[in-house]
Amino acid sequence: MDDPNKVWPTGLTTGESEELHRNIIQGTQIFGMIAALAHLLAYIYSPWLK
Amino acid sequence: MSPISHKVLRAWAGLGPGFLPFADAATPDVPLRRLLRLSLFQVSVGMALVLIVGTLNRVMIVELGVPAFVVAVMISLPVFYAPFRTLIGFRSDTHRSALGWKRVPFIWRGTMLQFGGLAIMPFALLVLSGGGHSAEWPSWIGPLSAGLAFLLVGAGLHTIQTAGLALATDLVPAESQPKVVGLMYVMLLFGTVVSAVIFGWFLSDYSPGRLVQAIQGSAVATIVLNVVALWKQETRRPARNAGATQAPAPSFGAAWSQFISGDHAVRRLAAIALGTMAFTMQDVLLEPYGGQVLGMTVGQTTLLTATLAAGGLIGFGFASRVLGSGADPFRLSAVAAFLGMPAFLIVIAAGPLHSLPLFVAGVFILGFASGVFSHGTLTASMGLAPRDQVGLALGAWGAAQATAAGVGVALGGIIRDIIAGLASRDVFGPSLSGPATGYMAVYCVEIALLVATVFVMAPLAGGRRNVSFAGS
Repeated sequence: MDDPNKVWPTGLTTGESEELHRNIIQGTQIFGMIAALAHLLAYIYSPWLK
Repeated sequence: MSPISHKVLRAWAGLGPGFLPFADAATPDVPLRRLLRLSLFQVSVGMALVLIVGTLNRVMIVELGVPAFVVAVMISLPVFYAPFRTLIGFRSDTHRSALGWKRVPFIWRGTMLQFGGLAIMPFALLVLSGGGHSAEWPSWIGPLSAGLAFLLVGAGLHTIQTAGLALATDLVPAESQPKVVGLMYVMLLFGTVVSAVIFGWFLSDYSPGRLVQAIQGSAVATIVLNVVALWKQETRRPARNAGATQAPAPSFGAAWSQFISGDHAVRRLAAIALGTMAFTMQDVLLEPYGGQVLGMTVGQTTLLTATLAAGGLIGFGFASRVLGSGADPFRLSAVAAFLGMPAFLIVIAAGPLHSLPLFVAGVFILGFASGVFSHGTLTASMGLAPRDQVGLALGAWGAAQATAAGVGVALGGIIRDIIAGLASRDVFGPSLSGPATGYMAVYCVEIALLVATVFVMAPLAGGRRNVSFAGS
């Protein structure tokens, strides 16, 4: 907690934690788009299993 | 557990490394367990490859009734991404990361791409086949989404393999590289064979639901395998990053021209491409050749693929041992190319002689020679990679190798079809009008390519060059 560059409690620096955060956000966005596309295609094939 | 079974267990554990030619790849820094774990990324790549080239190839044509032309285009899409492996490797060499990682971010991105492609693929294929209600929608949705799925999987597997092999090169010292290459190839083969068996068994009772389960299951397996593979593998080097932020990153063009002006770089890549093409053209033709010309049953032709794989496995083990003791990898690869010529001659001779044992022996030697050749060229690429261009060097190897393999398989099929078509119209005379002629033509082209490979390689196969060739 003494080092202002370290983010508590992981001990990562601000730059490192921002990079991790960026990757998590990006990953979530990509997964979201994939899921949306997969659902759209599933709907085209059989509209909600009808 | 009784003391006796405890002892037996101990004995087994002691025997294990003795039977694995790769066991002594474990240096004090990188134990074998960790290398085995890292090599799991090759299992995920093998799984994706067999799914695209083997399982889905068949499912699309037989079960989904997609025209063969569309299937061929879809399956060839991942190959178009292969040349970009050089760029991926370069980007990972020069990656700026606060966390001090070069390879992990790329393996992770590749994993996401492959996962994404596999996640949408089953629905895309079902829509492509025009089943369900998809006929009520515009017809371009099917090919477009299926094409996207195949492209994503291709981009993913090429990224994973390039960054993964670069990470493996970073981790182990030069003298253990041959063993690591052997391990990587064995795991690729293992992933291919095991997933082919699992997919075949699971889809033997085909339904659209099962197709979704199989492909999406492989998507989840991709994530699990690759996360386990890269967990705590790459050392974080924030210091490397601190130094790199001051110096501007070299452009890809500059890095490429530096790499290509290295010792025989163009010649090396040409030899890899020619040899790989020579050894892959018959890939999809051996089984139909066995069936059409030698009258083998389906079960027997499947065993043929197993024979080829067994030959390759022994080839990897042999090459690991020979190269591990300091042999020149290019000389070994040239010997393998030489060995390929009689192998093809045996396969050709087996046709008119109607000799099944001769054919199987030829296929086995072919697998062995191909395994030794691949091992030698990858080991050479690893050993000669400048320390700061490991990703670029392995990317160039992968680009040459994967592009040549893709083009080789396609060319093999095309040559066979054209020659067989001409032969059936008696263009070459009545003695060559049988179904064997098309296959023979391909095997002859492969022998010619092997001759060319040996010629290109001849100046390379000198004494072993200094392994740490960085900066020269």
